[in-house]
Amino acid sequence: MNFEIIKNERIGEQYYRLCHPSGLTILVYPKQGYNSTYAAVGTDFGSVNKHFIRDGKEIIVPDGTAHYLEHKLFESEEGDAFAQYARTGASANAYTSFDTTCYLFSCTSRFKESLEILFDLIQSPYFTPETVAKEQGIIGQEIKMYEDSPEWRVAMNLWQALYHNHPINIDIAGSVETIAQITPEILYECYNSYYNLHNMVLGVAGNVSPEEVLEIADKKLKVSQPFQTQSIFPEEPYEVKEKYTEQRLPVAVPLFCLGFKEKAPRQFVTIKEMICTNILLEAFAGFGSELYRKLLDSKLINSTFGADYNEGKYYRTVMFEGESRDPLKVSEMILEEVRKLKQNGISQEEFERARRCLYGGIISGFDSPSGLASKMINNEFMGGTSFVSLEETAKVTPEDVNERLKDQLDPENYALSVIKGIDD
Amino acid sequence: MSELIRKEICEGVAFNSITDDRFKRGRIYATLVTPLDKKTAAANALLSGVLRRSCRKYPDFTALNRKLDDLYGASLYPSVRRIGDFQAITLAVSGLEDRYALDGVSISAEMTELLCSILFEPNLIDGCFSEEDVEQEKRQLIDDIDAEFNDKRFYSLNRCAEIMCRDEPFAIGRCGSREDVLSLTPEDVYKAWKTLLDNATVELFMLGSSQPDRALEGFRKYFDGRPRKTMGFSRIVSEVGEVKRIVETEEITQSKLVMGFRCAYEKTARHAVATALMSAIFGGTPTSKLFVNVREKQSLCYYCASMADIHKGIMFVDSGVETKNIEKTEKAVMEQLNTFMRGNITYEELNTAKLALKNVYISSLDSLAAMQSFYLSNILRSSFLSPVEAAALTDDITKEEIIELAGQLKLDTVFSLIGN
Repeated sequence: MNFEIIKNERIGEQYYRLCHPSGLTILVYPKQGYNSTYAAVGTDFGSVNKHFIRDGKEIIVPDGTAHYLEHKLFESEEGDAFAQYARTGASANAYTSFDTTCYLFSCTSRFKESLEILFDLIQSPYFTPETVAKEQGIIGQEIKMYEDSPEWRVAMNLWQALYHNHPINIDIAGSVETIAQITPEILYECYNSYYNLHNMVLGVAGNVSPEEVLEIADKKLKVSQPFQTQSIFPEEPYEVKEKYTEQRLPVAVPLFCLGFKEKAPRQFVTIKEMICTNILLEAFAGFGSELYRKLLDSKLINSTFGADYNEGKYYRTVMFEGESRDPLKVSEMILEEVRKLKQNGISQEEFERARRCLYGGIISGFDSPSGLASKMINNEFMGGTSFVSLEETAKVTPEDVNERLKDQLDPENYALSVIKGIDD
Repeated sequence: MSELIRKEICEGVAFNSITDDRFKRGRIYATLVTPLDKKTAAANALLSGVLRRSCRKYPDFTALNRKLDDLYGASLYPSVRRIGDFQAITLAVSGLEDRYALDGVSISAEMTELLCSILFEPNLIDGCFSEEDVEQEKRQLIDDIDAEFNDKRFYSLNRCAEIMCRDEPFAIGRCGSREDVLSLTPEDVYKAWKTLLDNATVELFMLGSSQPDRALEGFRKYFDGRPRKTMGFSRIVSEVGEVKRIVETEEITQSKLVMGFRCAYEKTARHAVATALMSAIFGGTPTSKLFVNVREKQSLCYYCASMADIHKGIMFVDSGVETKNIEKTEKAVMEQLNTFMRGNITYEELNTAKLALKNVYISSLDSLAAMQSFYLSNILRSSFLSPVEAAALTDDITKEEIIELAGQLKLDTVFSLIGN
């Protein structure tokens, strides 16, 4: 079996890619002189994949199932994967996002043993009524922790204001009521539908060679059937559901999140679209921008302010967020500047500055094994390699960015989410 | 590679460098360390923000940031930390290594110049910081202090520390109080700047592939021959009396429990590593006593963890729980503590905690920021241990040492934040 070598001359880096006969895509990024190794398996299954068809059967699962499954996969008939990792000294974790579920570990020795544990973990589901019931208390407390988190609530409330039907408007962990409906059968149903090696990607970076990864893959991976699950997403109108949403929580400084909803005709954006948006946001709202300066001079924002592009399976939104004593004013000022931007576009000079900034950030990203592994996995799901962003950044023109702007930041299609203090 | 080279520039000022060409981004840090003092803490914290705004060469916030953008997105960030009873004010720059510049510019030389300029040549008007800069940064620092209440886990930990150490500098907090900040004038900030440059312990770090000489010269030029006098440090600790119990209520759905313990304290590296190991066994890993027994077996919480502050000699245990379970959780933690103190530690518990801790030390060698933080923490306790040596020391710690340390834990304060 031969690994494909993916190279970049510009920074003199390379990594290895292989479609393993089991179905798993394997990506290995050796880093010369590193002591640690970071490995993650990503499954193309997140909280938004709650409606699907497999073997002609249509299934809708309770909110929070993907996340519940992530917790329960750590247990097998032989016991708890945390305990097994502890014996090799690896530090292990897992997380569920809107789009994917990831299982990971990092280690500085005994890498192969830890990789075996990771492969066992994703291939040996073991759910009984007792083990499933036990997790209700733990995840219930996790849900409550997020209910009290103003940062999480301000974003979640925004998704609910922006989207009518898309499951991005549902909390990743579900609610105490929905997780009470989860049974071992439901978990097996999801597992069998999405935990298929053809639907998963392994990314390893750091002190590692492709040969040692392949050795363990050959030893441990069982061949998966072709992947046939079809995810279903509801029709989503272009217009936002509500323009304003507000919640009161015990906070001393109010939080805001202003989101501009976009059309999402395809499942994912292209890497070029992503680069254009990142340059646009850096030029428009970065530390060196007019907007940042105006908001600061007007005493409306503090160092928590930032702009971000949040996109995934059939959803795309530019968000501006931070803390402010006057969120409405912030929103007005951003909207005013957005209107100007839509009219004038970004200038050559702003473009160049933002592009240099992005270029530096992308190259710096190649320093961290954990960042590298996650990026390789995400790019694989999006259908590109880790070097495409760098090359696109070098090629992109101000015209590309201004063209992209036409589909973004519609000043009529936004929502503002605010978290106020109890007595504000 | 990755070896620390240290040069004393003058009284209380040291330049540390690690030359390492594995990375694409280099880093330079200037950390000014001073005893935490109610009279100066707020002004020092405010100073770091004011300095970050501008300098003589780039006297305007936007101009300064555009310069950073031009340097391929170099970043310049101020930070204020409490390290035991000290306050550490850091200004750090990071940016691409010179070999990646498309236009041949020496990013590292420009970064050094910029950091020196920010630190030594601030944008003064008539010999003082501008009223407007100070007002802007005051507003943001107050937002910062107020926002500590927003995150209830963080807030509860802070409150426990404040109550536990009420007569100690530790309780002042990293930025002083809101009222202290409000009363500051540009003159106070100017005085803080002068005092820190003359009296703080200064730890400078240059990490990356660029030769450190230029940065060393940049800093030396300023400090050389300057009459300096650093302030001595003293560690102030109150005796543990009756357990202090404070309950606050808030409109939250999950209650928080924080328990503050006093630990034995010694300045040696061995003691610090042993204390970190003890906390890892008790509640620092997914195989720790607290995780396995309080979370997994009793399903009481999502998190129940312990954290040791080796600079202060205290350990916190914190958890987020259902209000009705708060007493049960405290009892469960104390039960675990009692078996721990009686010496009930399995070989497996000791060994897995050692592996986990060594993993942290060795992993830090793969990040310049983690290395800087590791070395700074050690240097402040007069130790020049490397991460590899810390890992070896971890292996050397015996079960008996852990039992002895656990036996010296004393519950001092219990803080609960209860949901309505």
